Amino acid sequence: MFNYVLKTLIRHRTRSLLTVTGAAVAIFVYCIVGSVQEGLYRLTSGADADRRLIVFQENRFCPTTSRLPEDYAVKIGKIAGVKDVLPIQVWTNNCRASLDIVVFNGADPKKIQSMRPVKLASGSWSQFETQRDAAVIGRNIAMRRGLKVGDQFTIGDISVRIAGVFQSEVPSEENLIYTHLAFLQNSQRNESVGLVTQHEVLLQPSADADRVATEIDVQLRASSVATKTRRKGAFQASTLSDLVDLIGFAHWLGYACVGLVLSLVATTTIMSVQDRMQEYAVLQTIGVRPLGTLRLVLAESVLLCLVGGGIGSGFALIALQFGGFAIGAEGATIAFKPSLWLGLSSLGTSLCVGLVAGLPPAIQTARMSIVNSLRTA
Amino acid sequence: MNILELRNVTKSFRKGDETITPLHNVDLDVRQGEFVSLMGPSGSGKSTLLNVVSGIDHVDSGVIRVNSQEITSLSRGQLADWRAANLGYIFQTHNLVPVLTAYENVELPTLLLKLSAGERRARVELALEAVGLSDRAGHYPRQLSGGQEQRVGIARAIVSHPTVVVADEPTGSLDAETSLQVQSLLKRLNQELNITLLMVTHDAHVATIATRQLYLDRGKLVEELRVERQ
Repeated sequence: MFNYVLKTLIRHRTRSLLTVTGAAVAIFVYCIVGSVQEGLYRLTSGADADRRLIVFQENRFCPTTSRLPEDYAVKIGKIAGVKDVLPIQVWTNNCRASLDIVVFNGADPKKIQSMRPVKLASGSWSQFETQRDAAVIGRNIAMRRGLKVGDQFTIGDISVRIAGVFQSEVPSEENLIYTHLAFLQNSQRNESVGLVTQHEVLLQPSADADRVATEIDVQLRASSVATKTRRKGAFQASTLSDLVDLIGFAHWLGYACVGLVLSLVATTTIMSVQDRMQEYAVLQTIGVRPLGTLRLVLAESVLLCLVGGGIGSGFALIALQFGGFAIGAEGATIAFKPSLWLGLSSLGTSLCVGLVAGLPPAIQTARMSIVNSLRTA
Repeated sequence: MNILELRNVTKSFRKGDETITPLHNVDLDVRQGEFVSLMGPSGSGKSTLLNVVSGIDHVDSGVIRVNSQEITSLSRGQLADWRAANLGYIFQTHNLVPVLTAYENVELPTLLLKLSAGERRARVELALEAVGLSDRAGHYPRQLSGGQEQRVGIARAIVSHPTVVVADEPTGSLDAETSLQVQSLLKRLNQELNITLLMVTHDAHVATIATRQLYLDRGKLVEELRVERQ
């Protein structure tokens, strides 16, 4: 009987094509919205987010305004529970929300390798370590900006030679460009030698993150610049708070997409079934059970949804994989990445929408009077 | 042996304030291999009789047995299973599924039976051959003439080797020449394959192809004519 369902959809190809296209577009948007939300979730709730601290200047927000002494790293390193400290100079081309944010992190190459989850995909780490203006860039920004190993990349006053492209299990890392700390400190107009934007603190496995954060702020309160220390996840959520609100609102857009697919497929299925009540009456007359016609109608609507959802999510996952999309603000970025869960949830949503959209007309065919349907045809 | 038995079958329905009783205490016995035609004026209850025998409409009272099985007590689902295994239905307007080929239309009822792919194919080919349309198997209904469509409808009705085949005005929508071809086909199927046929018709001439002619009026069987088969 699947042949019957398939041929019915193909026979009404214009109607089917329009429905599938509509469903595909809506599921495409649903996937993109989902990937933004996943990206935010990963950023604020990964293992990295809870076991690392960010020490920032108190009452400062944009990376350009936070100026902490580099030697704070020594003081922080002595606090119980701290395993390692990474002083980082951050430079960004745009402190406001942007879809093409470029973020430089200047730090010691050896510590980057040991403390950051990066793995070189191409190029040479030793060249990065030895060449003063060398940089390693994340795969995402390389894709977005069309950069490769050996290229010179200039933005604002900063000009770097790309020594390598890295990938990371933490997608937001792939939006960063790492340079030498001293290089980034010296390349800025206002002298930043001896100053960094933030210190990233790696905790001992047994350390209480909140206690250590409080301890750092207390210890540094008497120093020249007061600090505010938070878990990395909380720091990033706070940095991206405007975006978090927007992304929170965007999930309604995802629901709207689901609603759109639902109404589209429901309309098509209802119209299709009403046109073919006689056909279903004939099928029941020759022995198809009422539940059998119910399944046929459901199969039609589910197939429309799954094909549309499959195409939409397929295109979305490809675009996310190769587009290198990211949104960021104040030096923190959210990467839009494809994931198995995103693909499965899109298909699952398509399946559920297909079932819900097809159920009312399916019940109608199962409960129809065969005689009346044959007579009124 | 009676293949079909109706006992005190009554069926009524409301139309506005009026209660119409198209079947009133109808008794009928049909033997295996009989070809019965049902005639009568409009509203006499002949289509209703066909519908209740087919199990697509229910009776108010009385009993219908087909091959000793009482069908009046079956649920909708059970009736569907029963129809798939025991009933062939020939519609006035062919009612073929437009998206399926002639072969696939004839194959439909066999998909509801527990048959192997080989058995299914053999049955469909035999049914199409019986109606003389083996060469049109791959054609869609829109590519067939009215007469050919009706012959596909007949093949679909006999493909599952049903106990009874019912036909609702099978020549009603055909021109005179095509009608004669279909009449001849029905007669041949009854004689050669010993298929039990119950046919509703308005046309007195068409009714003469049956071996037994019944006349219904206001819900009662009022006249009967038996013709001995040559």
